[in-house]
Amino acid sequence: MDTLMQYAWLIPLFPLLAFIVIVSFGRQLKEGAAAVGILLTAVSFGVAALTFWQRFQEGASDYTFSLDWLQVGDIVITMGFEVNQLNAMMLVIVTLVSLLVQIYSKGYMHGDERFPVFYQYLALFTFSMLGLVISPNLLQVYIFWELVGVCSFLLVGYYYFKPEAKAAAKKAFIVTRIGDLGLFIGICLLFWWTGSFEFTQIFDSIALGKLEPWMITLAAILIFVGAVGKSGQFPLHTWLPDAMEGPTPVSALIHAATMVAAGVYLVAATYPLFLASETALDVVAYVGGFTAIFAASIGLTQRDIKRVLAYSTVSQLGYMMLALGVAGAAGYVAGTFHLMTHAFFKALLFLAAGSVIHAVHTQDVFEMGGLWKKMPVTALTFLIGCLAIAGIFPFAGFWSKEAILSAVYEAHRFDLLWLAIIAAFFTAFYMFRLFFLTFAGEPRGRRDGHESPGVMTGPLLILAVLAIGAGFVNTPYAPYLTKWLLSGETGAAITAGFGEGTGHAAAWLQIVALLVSLLGIVLAYLMYGKRYIPADAIPEAMPWLYQLSYRKYYIDELYHYVIVRPLGWLGLLLDLIDRYVVDGLVALTAKITRGIGSLHARAQNGQVQSYGAVVLFGLLLLVVAISLTAQGGGFFGQ
Amino acid sequence: MTGEFLAFFILSLLTIGGAVFMISFTRVVHMVISLGITFISIAGLFVLLGAEFVGVAQVLVYSGAISILMLFGIMLTKHNASDEGTGRSWKNIFSLVFVAGLFGLMFWGIQKTVWTAPPEGAAAQTASVKQLGVEIFTKYVIPFELVSVLLLVALVGAIIMAKKEGDSE
Amino acid sequence: MSVNITSYLLVALILFCVGLYGALTKRNAVIVLLSIELMLNAVNINLVAFAKYGLFPAVTGQIFTLFTMTVAAAEVAVGLAILIALYRNKETVNVDEMDSMKR
Repeated sequence: MDTLMQYAWLIPLFPLLAFIVIVSFGRQLKEGAAAVGILLTAVSFGVAALTFWQRFQEGASDYTFSLDWLQVGDIVITMGFEVNQLNAMMLVIVTLVSLLVQIYSKGYMHGDERFPVFYQYLALFTFSMLGLVISPNLLQVYIFWELVGVCSFLLVGYYYFKPEAKAAAKKAFIVTRIGDLGLFIGICLLFWWTGSFEFTQIFDSIALGKLEPWMITLAAILIFVGAVGKSGQFPLHTWLPDAMEGPTPVSALIHAATMVAAGVYLVAATYPLFLASETALDVVAYVGGFTAIFAASIGLTQRDIKRVLAYSTVSQLGYMMLALGVAGAAGYVAGTFHLMTHAFFKALLFLAAGSVIHAVHTQDVFEMGGLWKKMPVTALTFLIGCLAIAGIFPFAGFWSKEAILSAVYEAHRFDLLWLAIIAAFFTAFYMFRLFFLTFAGEPRGRRDGHESPGVMTGPLLILAVLAIGAGFVNTPYAPYLTKWLLSGETGAAITAGFGEGTGHAAAWLQIVALLVSLLGIVLAYLMYGKRYIPADAIPEAMPWLYQLSYRKYYIDELYHYVIVRPLGWLGLLLDLIDRYVVDGLVALTAKITRGIGSLHARAQNGQVQSYGAVVLFGLLLLVVAISLTAQGGGFFGQ
Repeated sequence: MTGEFLAFFILSLLTIGGAVFMISFTRVVHMVISLGITFISIAGLFVLLGAEFVGVAQVLVYSGAISILMLFGIMLTKHNASDEGTGRSWKNIFSLVFVAGLFGLMFWGIQKTVWTAPPEGAAAQTASVKQLGVEIFTKYVIPFELVSVLLLVALVGAIIMAKKEGDSE
Repeated sequence: MSVNITSYLLVALILFCVGLYGALTKRNAVIVLLSIELMLNAVNINLVAFAKYGLFPAVTGQIFTLFTMTVAAAEVAVGLAILIALYRNKETVNVDEMDSMKR
């Protein structure tokens, strides 16, 4: 039944259809737009699931389809789609999370005036993301990459009447643009050196040794720059926390589960390129590792519930990059595995946070508290999400985080291993700080909470189930995912280079990871749950440390003074040049023309003698011309 | 130094001198007088060239009729205007330059051209009035008639142009 | 030293140029007409000179001269008539002041 994968191109088209329908009939549909979106996304999910199941069968092979699109000289650029293991998995993840978020949004955005517009943007985004994952060549990836960026801009700036939202949307777009530039240059270089955009052809060129080592490194690093922008790694991470200005379902869908994962997906999809260059892999690993701990350290002190989750996302993406960067099949599998589990539990956390915000109308955790009794379902699912992200057995996060740590250990990168473990400690700590401050204790604010409607709690429950169970697809004792991901052509390339990792180096590592997380939870409990240790202990002892963390290491201010201000001055200078030099030149030309004109107008004085003088001049010229050029050397020569 | 050359020299001196003085005098009547001298010298040149009839015609028509006509014109229109002078305006300077240019060009042309001498014997054919008459009334009779019509037209035209307005027929 | 055709041509050329200069620069309209007559005379000298010293000496040059003289006379008559009419309208014979054709 190979034929089912042929229809994979339909998967992005259903959301596109939803977009078109909602754009055309949104005003009439109003809240009915949700039904359109949900229905079509559900169909898309169904097809994706079927495609995945197909691909999952033993003996199934990658399916590619392409059409000739442009012909430039000898080079033919194609458009098409392909289905391989990584794709198929991503298709299911994206459609599932998008579906759940759309169901949730029906409740969350209820009563909003621009309800259909929200669903339009969501549908467009789903289309773009799905198109991105089934692209078989870099050009198509780039097209959808940009589309996804646009949708993110639209959705972050959804509340456009708020100046912070406008600024955040602009910031998101511009900062990711910097990454996109790197990606674009990388794509162009690869095209120039290998003559094609197609993944398969590029990988073949590399395998045949057509590219020199420095070329591969350069291209890989440039592509990684694109991933840094989109996935919010240091130093292009500043847009993600600000993007929390968008509605919470947006944060769940885009900034937790899918768009930011596009960066990780890109690195995984072009993995053979990275494998050929150790330098590039090191860059990926170190940037990822550093980001993981950097973002986690900022998350320790933030007050806004969504910001803590945002920094957590940045940190977890750092983990994924770290895994991919340590090379080898183990890293590849671990990174991809964590991508999947993170999508589920981070979406869960965001949606639950949204439920809380919807109920108490504030985002500051220090104004919440004691919501456990009032919102039981939300609280329970949030707890499950926290346990998953902290990596507690047997939740999904445990298995995927442990896979990453094993991969790092196996590659003998002990410095990175320390970073990862400390970051894990921080993660557990700040997540449970969040949990205790929000749900435990006495209510601090005077806000009343109440449980959210079924449309909102339903998806929460589904995601909670996934957050528990998704981990079991790849335990060290039954590595289904590893086996499946590494079968097939790409997997062969990976294992050929680096051998197959076992994914479970040592049992002691599992126990260490578990202990570290438990330590974090206990500390959070003591500080924020029972208040045995005052929360101000460290801030009072070392205020500067607290300030560094709370003010995000002043990176935003640094960028503002070093980059934004000088650019502003440059813009001012260029504006002056434009106004006085360029416009001045144009005005000068006009003046000169007018001057010459008026000068010559003086010859039109109405006097015959002047005209006669001009006629004489013409006669002279004519005589000169004829006498010099007539045949035979002119009239006067003989 | 032949007589012909001497005669030519004196006559051309008078001609050119008259023309130049015409340009440089300030009072209009003086200009007309010097031009009259020029006309008569030109008649002398014609006689030197063997065209006696043309010379006589020149005296009759030009220095006789046309000079007097000019004087009439001056008398009828502010004849004591003595502010005749060429100003130093751009137009005059340009005209001087262009005229000088024309002069130079034609001078160079004249000098460069090789003037073949006429075959001997043909010059012996001196033009007499009889010959002139024969030619006019045989070969050129049509232009001759046309010219007379032209004169008539000019006469009528001049009268109409100069008539006072408002005068009935 | 003989008088050949170039001498006559030169004389005619000088007269022509002087007449041209006068026609283009003088302010009194009558003088302009006078200069035009001078130019015509120069042409006549040329014609007669070629009639005697040219490549095919014939009497045609002189006949043509007679015709030009006639035309010149007619032209002077009409020109002066126009001048008188103009003087009657504008009270001046300065060509500088006759610029109705100005933009």
